[in-house]
Amino acid sequence: MPYKLSQMLDRELKKGSAELLILSLVEDQPRHGYDIGNLIEQRSKGRLRFNVASLYPLLYRLEKRGWIQGRWVEKAGQRRRRYYRLTAEGKKVLAAQRHSWREFVEAINRITGIEHA
Amino acid sequence: MPDWKEEVRKRLSGLKLAPAHEAEIVEELAQHLEDLYERAVSGGATEAEAKRAALQELRDAGLLRREMQRVEKPRAEAPVAGAPPSKSGRTNLVSDLLHDLRYAARMQRKNLGFTIIAIIALALGIGANTAIFSVVNTVLLRPLPYKDPERLVIVWENDPIHGLPQETPAVANFVDWRQQNQVFEDIAAITDESFNLTGAGDPERLEGRRVSANLFPLLGIDPQLGRVFSANEDQPGSERVVLLSHGLWQRRFGGDPGIVGKSVTLNGESYTVVGVMPARFQFPTSDDQIWVPMAFTAEQLSNRDAHYLQVVARLKPGVTLAQAQTEMSTISTRLEQQYPETNAGLGAAVTTLHEQLAGDMKPALLILLGAVGLVLLIACANVANLLLARAAVRQKEIAVRVALGARRLRLIRQFLTESVLLAILGGVVGLAIAYGGLILLKSFIPENISQAREITIDLQVLGFTLFVSIATGLIFGLAPAIQAMRFNQIDTLKEGGRDAATGGSGKRLRSLLVVAEVAISLVLLIGAGLLINSFLRLRNVDPGFRTDNLLTMKVVLPEPKYTDFDRRSAFYTDVIERVQSLPGVRSAAVTTNLPLYQQGNTHSIRIEERPEPPPGQAPVVATRVISPGYFGTMNIPLLSGRNFTEQDSTTARNGVAVISETMARRYWPNEDPVGKRIAFGFIPVRSDADWIQVIGVVKDVRQFELAAESRPQMYLTYRQYDLFAPRDLVVKTDVEPASLAAVVRNAVWEIDKDQPVSDIQTMDQILAESIARQQFSMLLMVIFAAVAMILAGVGIYGVMSYSVAQRTHEIGIRLALGAQTGAVLKLALGYGMKLVIVGIGIGLIAAFALTRVMTTLLFGVTATDPATFTLISLLLIGVAALASYIPARRATKVDPIIALRYE
Repeated sequence: MPYKLSQMLDRELKKGSAELLILSLVEDQPRHGYDIGNLIEQRSKGRLRFNVASLYPLLYRLEKRGWIQGRWVEKAGQRRRRYYRLTAEGKKVLAAQRHSWREFVEAINRITGIEHA
Repeated sequence: MPDWKEEVRKRLSGLKLAPAHEAEIVEELAQHLEDLYERAVSGGATEAEAKRAALQELRDAGLLRREMQRVEKPRAEAPVAGAPPSKSGRTNLVSDLLHDLRYAARMQRKNLGFTIIAIIALALGIGANTAIFSVVNTVLLRPLPYKDPERLVIVWENDPIHGLPQETPAVANFVDWRQQNQVFEDIAAITDESFNLTGAGDPERLEGRRVSANLFPLLGIDPQLGRVFSANEDQPGSERVVLLSHGLWQRRFGGDPGIVGKSVTLNGESYTVVGVMPARFQFPTSDDQIWVPMAFTAEQLSNRDAHYLQVVARLKPGVTLAQAQTEMSTISTRLEQQYPETNAGLGAAVTTLHEQLAGDMKPALLILLGAVGLVLLIACANVANLLLARAAVRQKEIAVRVALGARRLRLIRQFLTESVLLAILGGVVGLAIAYGGLILLKSFIPENISQAREITIDLQVLGFTLFVSIATGLIFGLAPAIQAMRFNQIDTLKEGGRDAATGGSGKRLRSLLVVAEVAISLVLLIGAGLLINSFLRLRNVDPGFRTDNLLTMKVVLPEPKYTDFDRRSAFYTDVIERVQSLPGVRSAAVTTNLPLYQQGNTHSIRIEERPEPPPGQAPVVATRVISPGYFGTMNIPLLSGRNFTEQDSTTARNGVAVISETMARRYWPNEDPVGKRIAFGFIPVRSDADWIQVIGVVKDVRQFELAAESRPQMYLTYRQYDLFAPRDLVVKTDVEPASLAAVVRNAVWEIDKDQPVSDIQTMDQILAESIARQQFSMLLMVIFAAVAMILAGVGIYGVMSYSVAQRTHEIGIRLALGAQTGAVLKLALGYGMKLVIVGIGIGLIAAFALTRVMTTLLFGVTATDPATFTLISLLLIGVAALASYIPARRATKVDPIIALRYE
């Protein structure tokens, strides 16, 4: 990609895609906030980063909507952490968002000709 | 290491998050920052660099706040711990209340058993209160259904010499009152009269009134149909007009809209119907079916001897009862001077109509209202006890909530919401109980309480119930609420911490409630005991005759048809003969008034060879005109002399009389009255034939009611005196008396097919009716006391069970160390019985002070009857002992091994 995607995402796409990112990350297993933040950073190779001030309000909002559910979990030798897992409703939302994201990306690609035409 | 929490909290300030919620957020975010910090440090950064990097995350303080605000809006549901009140107090109050209610409802559902028991206890208390209040409301509080009813008064003659503070006035006195008074806007007279209605259908006897023409305008009542009497219709010659009651109009005339102007036959004479009164109209009682004008003859207008009017008046606006009384007393004094022979010692007494109608029931109703109030208090104590026990269980919950920042006041409010919700639920069930209870109650309410039929649950009663429910909830909720706040938060939070309510103040409060319950129920039980005692004594009063196997009915001869004395005598002789020949009939007789009826004639007499008494102080005796078979039929024993015979007729030289033993004792204390002669006070003795000879003495009968001592009485025979025509036929039967009702009535109709027969009753029924009022009060009091006793028993049982459960550990140790079961039983029982004895002691003192108010309701026992006090105390001790014994016994069954593991 010839331009810095993170800047653009930070401003515009992030809003729409952040939910999708978080939902995807807690799909397989419950994760705590720090873990989620780290994974986003790692998997995007540092291109995507959520800071605390935006990550947690987003988590809370998703939780409030009932898509994810947070629970305090204590593990031996660790401080307790709040783990978020995907709810049944969240699964449906995730599926729908994935679908529309794929369509969106395809549409963009078709127009911009990024895909090898 | 930096204080991350503080850093986060700083940035969240101003969001007004609920403390618990905020604490969670702070914890989570701080942890994240700490993780970042640690990673940076482990990655080789200096602490300062690491800190800067972590704080970089929060660099835009506004962002976090903004984002959180978006999340938190719309506001989150207030957490259980209770949000501190925000500045927008009003909405918060409402939302807090809603929240409290939801929470309370959840708590009630969670403890369904507790809730049901509490609601039943409260429903009993509130239901009883509602039922009695609706009676009080109708009889004592609701304004009478007339125009400006508070200005209506009844005016009596006051005759202290003969012990008649409310004597029915004589016509001439009434006329003078009417002319001379300045205090009444209007004044009217009424008399009872029965009318025989003949014509279409069976002959019928109707209870009615003769009234002054101005009665209806005075009361402010308009007819439903036609008109009321016009001013000139209470003059002799123009009084042949009649007003019908709504009921009679519907029943007898099929609600004929054209009834006005038609004629009906009353007492064999034709009357023109001028109007129909509204359905709800009654004055003063609901029995009346017709009204006709009262026209006084010239002779009546000057009569001050015959006292038979009822006088109702309307006070002028602004005139007080006391002013009216003063004025009437002045007029009476003037009349005393003017007519010393008839009016000496005769005053006047003015009472409000309301007092007159409700007065009799007032003491009983107020006492019953007090009694149900006490029942409710016991129910409150019971529920408070239950709540206290539960508050002990809930202490951890409260401690957690306090730890999370809930304010105590807020928690007390939560508690009160719960108890008031409970009380209102109790109130709703209580209303249902009251509704059912009233249906039952109405069938027991004596018929002579005029407003009995009007008793309903109206808006006032509903308001009362709501008020009582809320007040109840606050009363029984406050103690546990405050109790729950008084504990050591830290101790309670510790695992296995002991309940504060187990020892110390919680136990003391519960013990106190038990003592109160015992004391209050003892007062109620003693009250009920006194009434039962009175009632039994009343039932055992010898009425002076045998009431069994007696059939009675009214056979009132219409005056116009039977004006002739011989014709009347012949009719009675025929009736007695014919009825006596019926199979199953042993004997039959007639009399002017049956005993135990609240009416009858009295006359002043003079005694031969005795000096004329001062005016107004002549002996007064009850007079009954009977047939010779009356004493035999009624089983009234002859004590000396002889009974009437066939020879005692108009052809005899002198009239004869049989007198009662009280009359004999009072007027001939040391002599034999047989052979002595008397005369009527109002008939001047012109010749020797005017004297009446006493021929015999019979045992007393209770003329008016069982509770009233017999008055001096004399009997005359219908064959000699036409002063009054007998009205009651009484038949002694060999079979069940009611079974002969139709046969006897037909026998009368065989003699005169137009002769109405009414009020067919057995003497046992009359007896029962005469004590219906006492029975009513007693029955209610017994029900209330029983409820109180059950509630108190349940209360003691509950506290004892709780106490035994709490002490299982201790008892287990005792048993393990070799204590005998007897000793353990004593230990457990001792605690309960100590409370009971203290309660009984307090209750006895309270009862001693309180039962005095019942004096007017008692008969034959004093308000502090030692036997009742002792017996009832023993009964309550017995119940309390049983209630303590069951849990105490459970204590002895404790298995030491299990008990020691208990915790």
